[in-house]
Amino acid sequence: MYQTLLTSRYLTSRVIPLIAVAAVALCVALVIVVVSVMTGFLDMVQSSGKTLMGDVIISNGISGIPHYEKLVNRLEKNEQVLAATPIVDGWGLLRMPYPNSNVKQSETVQVWGIEPKTFAKVTDYKNSLQWKNPTTNQRDWLLLDAIANNEETLQSLLSPELWIEFVDLIKSASHTLNFVEANFLENTKALLNEEQWNTVLSFDVRLSGEDALQQQGLDLSRNGKPGIVLGLHVNDGNVRMKNGTYQVSRNDYWWAPRFEGTLTMLPVDAKGGIIEPESIIMPFVNEFQSGVFAIDESLIFIPIDVAQSLLHMDEAKIVDLDDPATIIGVDPARSTSILIRGVPGVKGEVLREIVRTIYDDFSSSFSYETVVLPPSSHDPGLIIQTREEQQRSFTGPVEKEREVMRTLFSIVYLVVAALILSIFWSIVFEKTRDIGILRSIGASRASIVWIFLQYSAVIGIVGSFLGLFSGWLITKNINAIHDAMGNPPLSIAIVCFALSICFGTYTVVKMLKGQMLPIVLGSLGFITLGGIGGLILFIRHIGGIVVWDASVYYFSRIPNELDWGSSLFTVGGAILFCLLGALIPAAKAADTDPVKALRHE
Amino acid sequence: MSNTNSLILEGINLKKTYKLGRSQVPVLHAASLQIHQGQWTTILGSSGSGKSTLLHLLGGLDRPDQQGGEVLFNGESVWAKSNRQINAYRNNHVGFVFQFYHLLPELTVLENAILPTMIGGSFTTTSEAKNQAEHLLDQFGLSHRFTHRPRELSGGERQRVAIARALVNNPSILLADEPTGNLDEETGDGILDVLGALHQDGLTIVMVTHNMEIANRGDVIVHLRGGNITQLD
Repeated sequence: MYQTLLTSRYLTSRVIPLIAVAAVALCVALVIVVVSVMTGFLDMVQSSGKTLMGDVIISNGISGIPHYEKLVNRLEKNEQVLAATPIVDGWGLLRMPYPNSNVKQSETVQVWGIEPKTFAKVTDYKNSLQWKNPTTNQRDWLLLDAIANNEETLQSLLSPELWIEFVDLIKSASHTLNFVEANFLENTKALLNEEQWNTVLSFDVRLSGEDALQQQGLDLSRNGKPGIVLGLHVNDGNVRMKNGTYQVSRNDYWWAPRFEGTLTMLPVDAKGGIIEPESIIMPFVNEFQSGVFAIDESLIFIPIDVAQSLLHMDEAKIVDLDDPATIIGVDPARSTSILIRGVPGVKGEVLREIVRTIYDDFSSSFSYETVVLPPSSHDPGLIIQTREEQQRSFTGPVEKEREVMRTLFSIVYLVVAALILSIFWSIVFEKTRDIGILRSIGASRASIVWIFLQYSAVIGIVGSFLGLFSGWLITKNINAIHDAMGNPPLSIAIVCFALSICFGTYTVVKMLKGQMLPIVLGSLGFITLGGIGGLILFIRHIGGIVVWDASVYYFSRIPNELDWGSSLFTVGGAILFCLLGALIPAAKAADTDPVKALRHE
Repeated sequence: MSNTNSLILEGINLKKTYKLGRSQVPVLHAASLQIHQGQWTTILGSSGSGKSTLLHLLGGLDRPDQQGGEVLFNGESVWAKSNRQINAYRNNHVGFVFQFYHLLPELTVLENAILPTMIGGSFTTTSEAKNQAEHLLDQFGLSHRFTHRPRELSGGERQRVAIARALVNNPSILLADEPTGNLDEETGDGILDVLGALHQDGLTIVMVTHNMEIANRGDVIVHLRGGNITQLD
């Protein structure tokens, strides 16, 4: 009881506990903010992979899974499975439309042949598509392209005088549009009559059709022709801005959906040898963004049948080698993998086992007379994995990095412990005589230790929760803080200067009276606040700084979700260290000979 | 001057040596003395003669050397007791008054006085203990000072608070270590008057001083010279 009284008096009548609380709070907040941001990163990496992967993946290397349609049907009949979609996965070379010369650039790309409709059910394909409708500039470029491709048709509709006027408009627009908006669409519409204008619009559905761009992406085709959807970073014309948005270079000139590309893939025969490369020219219909740089810079989507034919994985007749005219069977079309999405709430591991069972049923359902059998699930080439397992090679390093960071930051824990230890050491040392007095009037050693344990528990608990609260506040507002740091408001500079002047005046007044402490504190306040104010003015003068460069870090916003698990662990750890930090000097103090303690000055 | 009362506290052949660096400094050689119920004993000695040490040994605050004699309280060896019992002895049976008051600066006057009852004490309720402390402080003329902090008090007032604290658990013996050593003569006399009054009421007192005049207030004066006791009557 008296311990509580003493503890509360020690806490309330001195400055040092406030310093200790502040130190604990700062350390806890530091660890919480850093670990939360790191965890946020990992979560963003993992969830962005989700947009294109589904929950479980069946794959069988480059030899693929024959009769995959039957497998997809079986999978979709299971009530735990929401949807399944086949993928043909391969590598290829994509000849890009740039630069504006005969020597075009080629990109190495990973090619996914997909069934867009089922693919959209399994993944977040629809939302990952970058373009829904063209922007004003893009529409103008599309219009210029449409006119160039249909020049003769258009010329036949227009009177020669109008045509000359129109050609002038085209020439001016195709020049202006490289730099600024040209209002070409409006000017053309104004120049032509309704019938002529409707003809122009009919050249390209994207000029007027609602969400036509998005629809073409979802269909993977334009005007009935198969098309390509590019990862947003495949096209070098897309430039990421500092704030994380994208701009197409040369005022949208290099906008991918204007162009087409030549895709070359290398088919592999049954023995693993390379057959003649196959090429196809396809229009770029849209672009997608998964949120993972490694994916966005190399992956492209094409219709599955195109991919199958490029890789020779489509259905083929098997002939008798002795008599090529005799057909002895059919080699069915294959897919290299199948993506499966479970109904909401089903865990990846559970779904994987369900899928495995379904696959076993599927592979054993074929009679031995079938010419081409699917691989058994025990085949080492056949892999059934959850998305997390599939992505481990990618997220693993980030995860490890976080653990390393956390280990490094656990040094902060040691700093906290050392700090607490030294603070308590000095507190207890200062209180040695009190301990002697208490012992002389009959207090036991244990009760002395208990006083300081209570004392440290209060400091630990108050400090840690204060730290948790500030950590939460900082993490939640980390983007606003970042923005304010990069471009600090003038008002803060003004407040800093005003306070700095107050401190300066205070210092001068006290200096005349000759007191030292106010002079030291006042000068510190004057210099610090004046410095901050000056720094703000400097940052504003150079036009703001970018602390978090979104074009480097890929994610446009700093993750701002608190990692509650780690935070509570940190809070618990800090409290524990406070208790330990006090326990040692308190035990030492309790063991001090009361007579010696009483002599302590 | 009554030796007829029963023996309450006895020091037998007390020996105490302090270590000072590598050398051993003997303070008490074989000091023996007897304290009787209701007696005011003063221990007179020059500074460094070991009189404070003797008081600490008697009060269970310091331990004599190995085989360095015994302290008997009501016939029982104090240092043979368990730690818990020694704590209880300090808390309940003896009350210490120090030269430098040794009040806790964070606590008020009343809280300081009540502290021993909170640590141990024979009081069953807080209000009972509080009444006792208030009664003592009243008696010492400190009724208007209950909520003050020690730093707001004069030296004499502080020492009176210390005496109240020493007496709050109704101890058998009051051990006073130069209680006036830090006070001017007039204030010191006031404190001695307080002790005298308590003695009149039957309190057993052991007081240490180097001042013959102050020593004369006691019933029995013992001299401490060269670590040995010589009793003067």
